[in-house]
Amino acid sequence: MSNYYNMPKLPTESSPKVEIFVDDKAVMVPGDTNLLEALKAVGIETPHVCYHPYLPVSGNCRQCLVEQEGPRGRMLVIACYTPVAPGMKIYTPASSARVKNARKATQEFMLVNHPLDCPICDKAGECTLQENYMECGQNEGRLRPEYGKNYHGNPAHQFVDSKGQVRGGKHVDIGPRILLDEERCVQCDRCVRFMRSVAGDEQLQLAGRADHTYITTFPGEKLDHEYDLCVTDVCPTGAMTAKYFRFQKRVWLLSHTPTISMDDSLGANIWIDHADGKIYRVMPRCNPEVNRSWLSNTSRMAFQNFNKNRLPAIGGISVMKDAIASASGKIALVAGGECTIEDLAALRMLKETLGDRAEIFAGTLKVKSEPDGIAKSGDPMANRAGFKLLGLPDDNLYDLAQHVSDYSVVVCVNNDIIGEGNKSMDAIEKIPTRIVLSAFNDETASKATLAFGIKHWSEVQGTMVNSLNILQKLNAAPTAPDAELKPAYEVLSELAGKPFTCAYDAFKKAAEYAPALAGLAYDTIKSTGLHLEGGNA
Amino acid sequence: MDIIESKSWVEWLITIAKFAFCFVPVLYILLLIPMERRGAGFMQDRQGPNRSYIKVPYFGRIRLLGYVQNMCDGTKLFFKEMFAPKGASKFLYYVAPAIPFAIVFLSPCVIPWFGPMVFEWGGKVVTISGSILDSDVGILLLFGFSSLSAYGAVLAGWASKSKYSYLGSLRTSAMTISYEVCQGLSMMGLLVLAGSFSLTDIVSWQEHHVWGIVAQPVAFFCFLIATIAETGRAPFDVAEGEPELVAGYHTEYGAMQFGLFYMGEYSHICISSFLVATLFLGGYSVPFVTTETMQAHMGGSLAILCWVLAFLALAFLHMMHRYSKKLAASRQSNKNVILQEYKLYKLVGWVAALVFIAAGVASWMFYTPEMAHTAAGVNTIGTALGTAAIHLLVLVVKSVMFCWVWIWVRWTLPRFRYDHVMNLGWKIILNIAILNLVVTAVVAKLLGGN
Amino acid sequence: MARVIKQKPMTIIERLYIFEAMRGLWTTLKHAARGLFRYEELPTISYPEGQPEVRNSYRAKHRLMLRPDGTPRCVACGMCAAACPAHCIFIEATQSDDPRIEKRVMRFDIDHLVCVFCGLCAEACPVDALRMDTKQIVFEHRKREDFVAHLADLTDWDPKDYPEDAQSQMAPGGTKNAEARKVWGMEVK
Repeated sequence: MSNYYNMPKLPTESSPKVEIFVDDKAVMVPGDTNLLEALKAVGIETPHVCYHPYLPVSGNCRQCLVEQEGPRGRMLVIACYTPVAPGMKIYTPASSARVKNARKATQEFMLVNHPLDCPICDKAGECTLQENYMECGQNEGRLRPEYGKNYHGNPAHQFVDSKGQVRGGKHVDIGPRILLDEERCVQCDRCVRFMRSVAGDEQLQLAGRADHTYITTFPGEKLDHEYDLCVTDVCPTGAMTAKYFRFQKRVWLLSHTPTISMDDSLGANIWIDHADGKIYRVMPRCNPEVNRSWLSNTSRMAFQNFNKNRLPAIGGISVMKDAIASASGKIALVAGGECTIEDLAALRMLKETLGDRAEIFAGTLKVKSEPDGIAKSGDPMANRAGFKLLGLPDDNLYDLAQHVSDYSVVVCVNNDIIGEGNKSMDAIEKIPTRIVLSAFNDETASKATLAFGIKHWSEVQGTMVNSLNILQKLNAAPTAPDAELKPAYEVLSELAGKPFTCAYDAFKKAAEYAPALAGLAYDTIKSTGLHLEGGNA
Repeated sequence: MDIIESKSWVEWLITIAKFAFCFVPVLYILLLIPMERRGAGFMQDRQGPNRSYIKVPYFGRIRLLGYVQNMCDGTKLFFKEMFAPKGASKFLYYVAPAIPFAIVFLSPCVIPWFGPMVFEWGGKVVTISGSILDSDVGILLLFGFSSLSAYGAVLAGWASKSKYSYLGSLRTSAMTISYEVCQGLSMMGLLVLAGSFSLTDIVSWQEHHVWGIVAQPVAFFCFLIATIAETGRAPFDVAEGEPELVAGYHTEYGAMQFGLFYMGEYSHICISSFLVATLFLGGYSVPFVTTETMQAHMGGSLAILCWVLAFLALAFLHMMHRYSKKLAASRQSNKNVILQEYKLYKLVGWVAALVFIAAGVASWMFYTPEMAHTAAGVNTIGTALGTAAIHLLVLVVKSVMFCWVWIWVRWTLPRFRYDHVMNLGWKIILNIAILNLVVTAVVAKLLGGN
Repeated sequence: MARVIKQKPMTIIERLYIFEAMRGLWTTLKHAARGLFRYEELPTISYPEGQPEVRNSYRAKHRLMLRPDGTPRCVACGMCAAACPAHCIFIEATQSDDPRIEKRVMRFDIDHLVCVFCGLCAEACPVDALRMDTKQIVFEHRKREDFVAHLADLTDWDPKDYPEDAQSQMAPGGTKNAEARKVWGMEVK
């Protein structure tokens, strides 16, 4: 199904080094990759539009031109589709005016009929065209004003504007989540390649030829795929824009927090883009081993509920302590998949404090599906590997349901056991004291005797282990609706009587339980995560 | 009752009426305050205070060219509470402001307001002096009086029990002493020329010879500077330097006590300018015309006087007209109110102009030589009074000119440092004055021989 | 980078002071004479009643230009807010009902208490929507909140106040509104 025949080979740490000559200077570059990546590895950025490291090379934009010394003299070649060969001689704009002019001309052609939409374009500020213009273009407009812009794409969408210019293709509704602006499209066909090669569902196509080319779906069909919002990421211009983010915020006003999406055990790396304490969007964060540059719509759109239906912060920890202390029967500690390593360390500490009376249950009742090979493992329990690492059970909720009568107190952390639609869990309600620590006022919380608001995973510092056994770091986005909210590990450690003052305390405690974490600090975990020993969990 | 019968009733009337001149400095205060405030404004391209008004039927809001503002300020000062600072010497504190103000009424006594009136009444030739007290040592008396005003400052500073006031009064006394020496010495040359201490004699010497400013230009400058310094005005206002001494000796004074100091300062200016005008600008004498010539053509003289006044009224009307035109063309929102107010000024201007023209014509046509002089060639009382009026007016014009110099200098020159003031007084002006006296004495002896 | 400025030594004339004082007196006398005899030529204006002449280039209170149909020209691109050194412009955008205009401004607030009137916002505007040519130099309000100009305040201006400005005349009520309306609008082929 997938078409990987000309996927770019990306350099790795084990790539062989070869010597090439860039601007007559000898440099050592990775030898098994294309020129564009090789130059990037030695710090020379090459402007490009159609090239994407995780998409098949198409080479249609001609923006990444460099000069190569060949048998027939110096020729212009595209860096993205030229493999590195030892001893090759390359000339960049630093030494070659020809390359500079060629790139400039390419840039100029690309912008001839590109509308001046930057003020209203959501891509403005992170637009590849804008970056390339500043880097290698900066052309004076040479178009005679009476010609203006001429849009020759989809004839059905053409119109003449008040200045007499032929325009067209504005805000075409191409799917439930995507708006297409055909006029802004530069026909790089990244989106087409994404849908074909990565999503595996060829819903987009280029129609027409030459400057009549435009992006379209099959007649009568819409762009609708679990990964369709990724086309807005790969789109170098503002042609593909997400409806949910349309006109919400100018991108330069957003702050970015790198964190991990905790709704899947693959733990897709994400950026949380927020401003003024509000999350505006979630973007995939490139991690070559985990989710590459992709993110599923579910993970991406989940943020819309992060600040809704939240439990308020109540400073009633002593009440909770009393309830646990006065328990006549056994105590069930139920943890959910969104718990970080730190939360689990605090939970295990609580269990050890309470002794044999307490027992830990964990797991999810949601349906587990197969990995889709893009950015989802299909396991809704995000930190399942972390449970295993800390020696906690990860799938024993049914045990609790069968033995509810033994328990007088249940402390449920980040686990909406009742709300997940499994009837067998309604038995939990028979336990007289039901304490719920949850970010949301979900069904479990509403049926609890004591419900305490805690911070959501997007607002906490922590770590998780994903299904590839990579330890990944979550960072706290400053988007908590209430400054009084505390992370789960703080509440749990207070219940245990040995409060953690910061996440790192909890992480050190986790290292006591899990030898694999020993000697680690947050600083040693790279943004792309840290491989734990032991292969796939 | 010999003393009463020695003079006729007209003589008595005029002699007693002359005491009204004691109030001239007080009237001058009313003139000087608006002159200073609006003059300062004009120099700085401002308009000066011009907002307060009185409501008058038909004409609306009358501001009297900004004069109402001063009335308001005076009223305010008058009705403010008077108080003394804790620890002040109460009696001296309250008495001190009265001293400079009381001097005001003494100083005008020796100034010759007009030439000696000589006229025939009841078959006798009567002579009445131009000053209230025609003393032979008039100028010394005048210096004595004006020096007294320093007591006010000294007492005020001492009685206030404030360091600022005390330092201010010390400076005042030091400066008054220094500059009185300069003042006296610089004037000596003129006295040598005139040969008399009597102000009347000095004026008549100038009238018949040459004005003091021409005869003694160096003395004039020295005297002017010394007099400005003695009044304690900028640039010599070291006694009340705001950055160092707050307001000097009257720091602790408010309400009308302060007002008395304020008025005392202005009347001091008035007296000083009368003195300068008298000593160096020929006093009451009309330029280029002797009193005898004027009296010989009394009708014409009065007519010219009236027409000069009429010309001034017409010039005022012209300026009023020009300004109204500009105002009417402007977009100022209250212009109609102002134009209505100007109608009153224009009315007054027209009336004054017409009256003065008519008076001029009348005196030209009907004041015949027969009316002016008796057969024996002695003046009639009308001529004598007319001469006195012209003299008085001329003196007033000259003194107002010098009052303007006070204001002008104050708003132009920056103040001197205290040591500079002392240097200027003792090392420069005093030496120049002495040199001037020596040279004058030698030259006078060689040329005049008297 | 210290720079030593050498003062010119005073000449003997200047050191005598009296002549320099005379020069100063002459200057003030000229001004005083102008005030007295040419009162109407004083540069001072009687302020609240007389208003100063404001130049076209004066950076006064802001206004938002209008399209011929009366909607604000602003497309909420945020360039003004990005250019603003005082961070006093707050913009929220929304989808436009008009199919010809994709993006329209929903909230446009300028806090004039924070504004420094540098004019960078008007410079930055790519669609010539924000201008500072109202010549309105006086701000007087009762409350701090009133100093925040909202969209309604910024678009509330009269084309009659800008007779020379062709762009302003295209707004509703302007002399060129009728012809601008004809041109305005994208007729689909």
